[in-house]
Amino acid sequence: MRHAGRRLLRAGAQGVRRTVARRPRLFIYFAILGPGMITANAGNDAGGIATYATTGADYGYRLLWTLIPITISLGIVQEMCARMGAVTGKGLADLIRERFGVRWTAFVMLALLIANGGVTVSEFVGIAAAMELFGVYRYFSVPIAAVAIWWLVVKGSYQRVERVFLAMSLVFLSYVVSAFLAHPPWGTVVREVLHPHFEFGSAYLFTCVAIIGTTISPYMQVFIQSSVVEKGVRVEKYALTRADVWVGTVFAIMIVFFIMISTAATLNVHGEHIESAAQAARALRPLAGPYAEVLFAVGLLGASMLAAGVLPLATAYSISEALGFEKGVSSNFREAPIFLGIFTFLIALGALIAMMPGLPLIRVLIITQVINGVLLPVILVAVLRLVNNRELMGSHVNGPLYNLAAWFTTFVVSALSVLLIAATLFPNLFAK
Amino acid sequence: MIYLSQVLGRPILDLEGERVATLKDVIVRLGEGDHPPAAGFVARYRRRDFFLPRWRISDFGEHGVRLNSDILDLRPFMRREGEVLLARDVLDKQLIDVDGKRVVRVNDVQIIEAANEWHVTGADVSLTGLWRRLAPARFLRSDRPVEVIDWADVGYLATDAATVQLKSHRGKLARLHPVEIARLAEAFSYQQGAEIVESLDDETAAETLEEMAAERQAQILGDMDEERAADILEHMSPDEAADVLGDLPEEKAEDLLNLMEDDEQSEVAELLPYADDTAGGLMTTEFVTLPRDLTVGEALARLREMAETPNMIYYLYVVAGEDSWKLIGVIALRNLILADPSAPLEDVMRSDLQVAHPDDNAAEVAQKISEYNLLALPVVDEAGDILGIVTVDDAIEILLPKDWRQRLPKMFG
Repeated sequence: MRHAGRRLLRAGAQGVRRTVARRPRLFIYFAILGPGMITANAGNDAGGIATYATTGADYGYRLLWTLIPITISLGIVQEMCARMGAVTGKGLADLIRERFGVRWTAFVMLALLIANGGVTVSEFVGIAAAMELFGVYRYFSVPIAAVAIWWLVVKGSYQRVERVFLAMSLVFLSYVVSAFLAHPPWGTVVREVLHPHFEFGSAYLFTCVAIIGTTISPYMQVFIQSSVVEKGVRVEKYALTRADVWVGTVFAIMIVFFIMISTAATLNVHGEHIESAAQAARALRPLAGPYAEVLFAVGLLGASMLAAGVLPLATAYSISEALGFEKGVSSNFREAPIFLGIFTFLIALGALIAMMPGLPLIRVLIITQVINGVLLPVILVAVLRLVNNRELMGSHVNGPLYNLAAWFTTFVVSALSVLLIAATLFPNLFAK
Repeated sequence: MIYLSQVLGRPILDLEGERVATLKDVIVRLGEGDHPPAAGFVARYRRRDFFLPRWRISDFGEHGVRLNSDILDLRPFMRREGEVLLARDVLDKQLIDVDGKRVVRVNDVQIIEAANEWHVTGADVSLTGLWRRLAPARFLRSDRPVEVIDWADVGYLATDAATVQLKSHRGKLARLHPVEIARLAEAFSYQQGAEIVESLDDETAAETLEEMAAERQAQILGDMDEERAADILEHMSPDEAADVLGDLPEEKAEDLLNLMEDDEQSEVAELLPYADDTAGGLMTTEFVTLPRDLTVGEALARLREMAETPNMIYYLYVVAGEDSWKLIGVIALRNLILADPSAPLEDVMRSDLQVAHPDDNAAEVAQKISEYNLLALPVVDEAGDILGIVTVDDAIEILLPKDWRQRLPKMFG
């Protein structure tokens, strides 16, 4: 009897080198759906679609120019967070707490709670709107969806249905086809994309902030950093992630571009505005004809259900993480009261607001995105201060030019938010 | 008892009671007992930080710090080896509570005066501690319950100044089960997780690594000092070690393998050629073989004499002869003990046994183990020679993928 062993090694120790080399290398697989791709495209949810479609319907091609600066800003912001995840191995909420102390953390988390609360509301409004296109009253659909989502997440089976929702939301890719079939005046489109011009008016300002808020939502920064950390991306392999972030960003904005074009070419030309989901669905008519509403409803339902589960959960995690509360869906209310409380509260809030009688669904969707936009500067300032902290990031702090662009983005977003708040408080500010 | 949050920013007063600076931080030296005393203070005067040694202080409390002399050394403060700054390194950071086996975030630090020294006694992790720092003092009710982690139970402190404090915590973490250490380490960033593993002794580090995700094992070992990594690999079971090496870049794997001791090196090396998802990739080479011509009593005596007993001795594999690997039967330890000591092994062994081949699909092998209710399944080559065994714990890992909910906390961390 002996320790079984060395049998295969009779070939001699020189075999070792060969066996190591022959072993199938760990395939450094980078799925097509990297964190950057998923996060950037998460912006195309209920609130996003409503905002882009309304913009196209109300302003035609006149706001297309915003897409180039937004692409750059979104890419920069997401890239900074992905980089922080790779360098520090920590989540954004974590870093904010460890670097800024309790008061700042509380402030940032409150902003995040409000912003994410708004987005959660928008997802339930999206569910309501989608189900109404199928002829189901929202007083039925919304409570059922809320209970189902809560149950699925807490029982841990949400991940199984997640893919179904993800597949459903791919329907929005049909905007690309629809845009081409609508035969937009491509000359005008190109000219508007390349020709920035700003108007001073509260409605215009409102739309701008909504577009920014829905494209560069605060939750996306938290999200991308967490998924980079979760994926275990290291500084040495970071180049791949950076590519993923930028490709994802450009892809997401391409979809936005086609949504705006197809709504502009189908609704704006007839002077139609979007007040309901049924009207928003009309932009898909060049592709789907009479089935446009069904197509739109499927996509809207998928995207909304997807985010309605993930967002409250992610918010509860961020806040619990930063403030040090017990967390985890497998715990019960006695073990993790605040974590499950936040999660449950957000779902209940979303469902209740979406069920308010006489609620102008599309309008509410856009207002929630504006809230996002107004609160975005809080997160951006925190991100910028962290990413430029040498103690934290070492040589991976922002370069001077990059920093300039990032601070400029923060400045513009803040300025727009302040202007919008001013315009809301004093409605005559921009009166002609 | 005072809380750190109540003294930070308080004035530092000279002999006449004049404010000369403000208190910025409290310095302790870890490793000086379970409740280390304050070794000094960092004071701030006009954006300049300087050090106040303990012996220059006559009093310290909620009102601030009182000096016992008028002489101040204003040279800028420099952290020395082994020093931990309570505000900078402990407050708001995470630590491992060995007693509660969990990761907590420090909301405040408790300091208690005893024998004219100020000792760090605990970390306040309660909501009350959070409120104390958020709200003005007059809104605070002192009767609220606080939850304090005894400083003696702090197993790991996740701070940038980590290298200096690890030694003092080494023993404490080892009190936990490797599965628990692994779970706690995974709650931290990868650098901190690696620090935790490095702080353990080789044996515990190996067992802890085995419980971590495959990529993380490779990352941690790949970044570690190579000699140390090789030592840890030697303590891992050969199949796990082979898996880790397979996940590392070729050159790195080769270097580590070459640094390992001969015995362990050869065991791992022979497992390397097999792909992960085959019986060969799953199997371990640690098992016991007995030649057929022994008696039951002789076999038991040999088992007792073995210098290093493999983990899996419940099945004993009977081979054709002393230097042969030809598998002819298996005996469960239970049957061996119950059998007549003078009976030959051949009479007690089972010869109709289930086997797998090295290229068999891993999932099918796991399925077979579960179907036949086995604790291990031998892997044999074409000649019928035993190469290794696949144990039931590896089979379970394949049959029951880790619950996704366990992974969630990191996803949204």
